[in-house]
Amino acid sequence: MASINIRSVSKTYGKTLAVNGIDLHVEDGAFVVILGPSGCGKSTLLRMIAGLEDITSGEIAVDEKVVNDLQPAKRGCAMVFQNYALYPHMTVAQNIGYALKVSGIARRDRDERVARIASTLGLTHLLDRKPSQLSGGQRQRVAMGRAMVRSPGIFLFDEPLSNLDAQLRIQMRLEIKRLHRELRTTSVFVTHDQVEAMTLADKLVVMNGGRIEQAGSPSEVFRKPQSRFVANFLGSPPMNFLPATIDGSGRAVIGGNLVPWPQLVFDLPRGTRIELAFRPGSAVVAPLDGASAALPFALELTEDLGTEHHLHGKVAGTAVAITLPAGKNIPATPFAIAIASEDMHAFQVEGGQRVAPSRATPETIMKHGAAA
Amino acid sequence: MTTSPNTRRFAAHLVMIGLSALAIFPVYWMVQTSFRPESEVFSTALWPATPTLENYRRVIEVMPIFGILWNTVLMAAATTAAQVVTGLLAAWALVRWRFPGGRLAHSLIALSWLVPFQVVMIPNYVLATRLGLLDTIAGLVVPNAAAAFAVLVLYNAMRGFPREVVEAARMDGAGSLRTLIEVVIPNLRAPIASVSILCFISAWNEYFWPLLLIRKIENSVVQIGLQFFMSQEGNDWGLLMAAATLASLPILLIYLVLQRQVVESFMKSGIR
Repeated sequence: MASINIRSVSKTYGKTLAVNGIDLHVEDGAFVVILGPSGCGKSTLLRMIAGLEDITSGEIAVDEKVVNDLQPAKRGCAMVFQNYALYPHMTVAQNIGYALKVSGIARRDRDERVARIASTLGLTHLLDRKPSQLSGGQRQRVAMGRAMVRSPGIFLFDEPLSNLDAQLRIQMRLEIKRLHRELRTTSVFVTHDQVEAMTLADKLVVMNGGRIEQAGSPSEVFRKPQSRFVANFLGSPPMNFLPATIDGSGRAVIGGNLVPWPQLVFDLPRGTRIELAFRPGSAVVAPLDGASAALPFALELTEDLGTEHHLHGKVAGTAVAITLPAGKNIPATPFAIAIASEDMHAFQVEGGQRVAPSRATPETIMKHGAAA
Repeated sequence: MTTSPNTRRFAAHLVMIGLSALAIFPVYWMVQTSFRPESEVFSTALWPATPTLENYRRVIEVMPIFGILWNTVLMAAATTAAQVVTGLLAAWALVRWRFPGGRLAHSLIALSWLVPFQVVMIPNYVLATRLGLLDTIAGLVVPNAAAAFAVLVLYNAMRGFPREVVEAARMDGAGSLRTLIEVVIPNLRAPIASVSILCFISAWNEYFWPLLLIRKIENSVVQIGLQFFMSQEGNDWGLLMAAATLASLPILLIYLVLQRQVVESFMKSGIR
């Protein structure tokens, strides 16, 4: 097992900046997931840790030993690739045992270790097959076995589940989690799938445009996104954003006259444009009675997903989606939605940074509405 | 008026049969002429009235034909092996590493394909003479040990090989040469077979360079051997055809055994 220290690492391809000054510490035995849209530099970062990509500037250290100029095999990392990258002409046993063969381990010893790994992964009956004779899930397992056989200090996963169908993906996800719990090997897992990221990570790192937007526990990143990008990227359907302007007393005004959360006061100059945001699941249906706490919702479309309903509509001219549990009735008459003030997030329009209200009463708007 | 699909198919087949016959006829004529006694050589009958093996007997008598065939096999095999090995190494270098001048090197190799043999023939000849390769099999092989064609075909094949698999080998600790030999080459059997077949056939048919380099008939290759029966007083057709039949046998054998691969390699390389 090993820890990884990444210090102001950058990578440029010609004039394009792919990774821009990343600092990241991966603790010994941690499972870190790097999440981001395609082209955000997450795979490049992983490949730099692996040694498959040169580092333009900065430093990567494994157990405090700088590995910048070390060959991939000497870094103590094993990698699972997106397309499995199995050797097509070798059997499963040869695929798993190749690293051992290269490092000159005697055949008998090798066979023994391959057999042990194969039984852990349930591959024993497939050892003589070629990769082309395996299903996607089996190939994935072989790729895992190939990584495990050297007992590496670090596992690197480059979107390993993205080629599997939905059901298999869940199964393999659980399997990776189980293996990590057993082996406690430091792991870095790159994905663009937020469900994978949320479920696997001890520490979630969200990247965008070659930078880290936010790093923290999955629940922290989900519940307290530090930027508009993170807020928008995590969650499905995504968060709703309502443009608002700060008035003279620091309150956020939506659509020119709605002040649904008068108790949220921002320490921002008058006229500053911000965005108020809430998750679709945070909204509840409220009567359309002009109470200041509720936002009139113009319903346009309903989707029944079985477990829940997705309601698409508009609030003050902005498209908004909310989710309601399956059991709830959708009102037939026009209605409003209410969101508790602690479920509200606010982001600056310029730069997208999170802004916290300087004063906020713990009361929810529901209570506020009731008191009024 | 419309023709039924059957009629059209029949017509297409008729055309193809006609074209095949046109292609096969010279080969057939060569073989059957080789069985004709001298008196019958200019007869237009489709088959000799009195077939004989006399021509073959005389070819063997006047010329070390089996030695020549052996020389040719040796030369073609060595040329093929050399071209495949140099092609693999060059292609691997171009695919595996991005280095300054890599693209230029690739273009120069492609460009060298366009240089006609006649341009390099004199320098090659002088060099071969100085190196003492005159009148030797090695002299036939060495100037053809590297071919742009082999490099380019193998380069394209390697570029299509998944990069991740090569990277997996790197992660497993395999060096570049080991990766090439143990991971890449076993998966490039088809393109390597194509290149080998095409190299072998083209080396087998080589005429001009051996003509320049080879002096003694016992060091000769078949294409030169055939010329032996063509003289200013006239050609000895029976002997020529018997020798030509013997010369084409190995190639015909390759076609028969590796028919599918040969056709595929011609189609893929898009030449001839």
